[in-house]
Amino acid sequence: MRDSYLWGLAALLTAGVIYAVFFIVPEAMGLGPLVRIAFFHIPVAWVAVIAFFVAAFYGARYLRSPSPRADALSACSARLGLVFTVLATASGSIFSKLTWGAYWNWDPRQTTIFVLLLIYGAYLTLRSAIQDEARRARVSAIYSLFSVLTVPFLVFIIPRLYFSLHPTPVVNARGSVDMDAVMLYTLIAALIDATLIYITLLRRSVRAHREGF
Amino acid sequence: MWGGLDAAPQKGRGMRRGSMEERQTDAGASIVFANVTKRFGAHTVIHGLTRTVRGGCITAVTGINGSGKSTFLKLAAHLIMPEEGAVHVAIDGEEVRRAALRAKIALVTPELRFYARLTAWENLAFVLGARGKKLTKEGYEALLGRVGLAREKTGGMRVEGYSTGMRQRLKLAALFGTDARIWLLDEPGANLDEAGREMVRAEARAAAGRGTLVLWATNDAGEEAEADETIRLAGHLPRLS
Amino acid sequence: MKPSAWQGICLVFRKELTAGLRFRAAWAAMLMFALTTLACASMALQGGSLEPRMQAALLWIILFFASMAGADRVFADESTAGTLLTLRVYGASQAVLLGKLCYTFFLLLVLAAFTVPLFLVFLDVTVKEPLVLLGAVLLGTGGIAAAGTLIAALTTDASTHSGLFSVLMLPVILPVFLPAISLTASSFGADGAGSPYLGAMALYDAILAVGASVLFDSLWYED
Repeated sequence: MRDSYLWGLAALLTAGVIYAVFFIVPEAMGLGPLVRIAFFHIPVAWVAVIAFFVAAFYGARYLRSPSPRADALSACSARLGLVFTVLATASGSIFSKLTWGAYWNWDPRQTTIFVLLLIYGAYLTLRSAIQDEARRARVSAIYSLFSVLTVPFLVFIIPRLYFSLHPTPVVNARGSVDMDAVMLYTLIAALIDATLIYITLLRRSVRAHREGF
Repeated sequence: MWGGLDAAPQKGRGMRRGSMEERQTDAGASIVFANVTKRFGAHTVIHGLTRTVRGGCITAVTGINGSGKSTFLKLAAHLIMPEEGAVHVAIDGEEVRRAALRAKIALVTPELRFYARLTAWENLAFVLGARGKKLTKEGYEALLGRVGLAREKTGGMRVEGYSTGMRQRLKLAALFGTDARIWLLDEPGANLDEAGREMVRAEARAAAGRGTLVLWATNDAGEEAEADETIRLAGHLPRLS
Repeated sequence: MKPSAWQGICLVFRKELTAGLRFRAAWAAMLMFALTTLACASMALQGGSLEPRMQAALLWIILFFASMAGADRVFADESTAGTLLTLRVYGASQAVLLGKLCYTFFLLLVLAAFTVPLFLVFLDVTVKEPLVLLGAVLLGTGGIAAAGTLIAALTTDASTHSGLFSVLMLPVILPVFLPAISLTASSFGADGAGSPYLGAMALYDAILAVGASVLFDSLWYED
């Protein structure tokens, strides 16, 4: 019942964001209409990261007090995270090709999202390789928490390691706050929208997951 | 061959009554199965089991193959966890779990294996050392002699060269060497000759006399008769077609 | 009569070492694997020279995959032999993890001591800063040992082994792997990465070891 409200809200917000992106947001910063991809790309990448922490959080919850629900949340969040990461990587590559001329050039953010892709892939492979339910839940919870240890590296070291090799002026300009107010509000709305869609999908898939037992 | 054990059975039987009185107090070990259900996949092995097992006596666990005897022992050791219910283990009135519990148990099961590339002596030194016990050279010799694996018989051979019966005896040596308060025995007489089985019975009785909790999974009527109490597992066998 | 943590670690390490040294096939397989990879890379290049960064990357790829062939066995072997139950019943979690971690580190050091000199000879590399190279190798293998021991324990119950281990290892080990390449490159004469990376690697090694140690308890004791 509550899910249908969530869906409704997400649908409304999505419609609003799409309208804003195509009819209100100015074609700023010499990027022309390309800037519109950002309103898809940034929220999707944001959810990819959120889903990673949610998976680890429920992993920790599972280890503290084992329950099928915590395991299902962790697993479903990782599965959704993988989908969002793929979407973020794909949209990012298109954006990259159109603005920098190459689909892939290992800038810090691309590297980070790629590592995230590897972690999600590894986590889901691990899950598929263990038959015993309790064991699978425990082992994958531990791996999801262990992989969180890479976060400080991704945030602090990767930019130093790759920045000098691949300057990324566009990302920097976009990242700074001197953004057009309309763009900023649209972006925030898009972030909320993507998060809402993620939460709704997570709730739905957890239910499906548990009914499957 | 089984020297040094002759007196044990009598002594053990004498202690039996004492152990009954001990039940009233908190002293000793106890394992409480509270509405325990254990499933492997879709197959329920143990369903809603509620039982209390106490130290100072031998409790036989019986049931047909696949009725969950080994599972029962592993649940008691917290080596596997139940899907529903809980297994509470207490030592001297205090509930123990995790490392504290692990340090109090000793296990003899058919699936237990020792390191094939180490000698019996090295295996024992490792297993007992991990429990913080360090024996003298004579101590190890005596322990190995007690289970019939004296050096003159084995010649310091690595465990990979052992027969099944000798491996079983090594497991027993580890069991006797640790000061475990809970003995979990799964068919401990398997692959042993009559004298060997008699030794196991005598040692288990002596251990129970010292207040040890002895759980003994068996299908042997004689061994079952030896026990003070019996837990019969009904078994939820998958239908064989 | 609780054994001290240090005694427990030594006990497990000694057990691993004794059993490991008596199992020559495992050593031979690991070293031959390293040699094969090395020869393969060297022959593929046909004597052509690489720039330092490429040399460093190649060295670490060889080291990474060669160590995957050795480090993933640390729990799997016990599982196959059936001794894992014995270890679970009698061994304390931290003694088991850290003892095995030390042994894996030792194993990887032997591997590196075998591979790196051969690599330098085969690919005709001149080391300009041997100490930086030494530091990178020590900290790099240390990180692989720390992460590898926990992940080897995680994959014990998995239905597929060898491939899975590398898949799980790579993302976690990247923070050690990438700086190690940079450092090695600079020791081969490339400019860039300096000693701050050594500190970062040491820190990350420590984070991995502590993380593995904390998480291993919930794997070892399920109650």
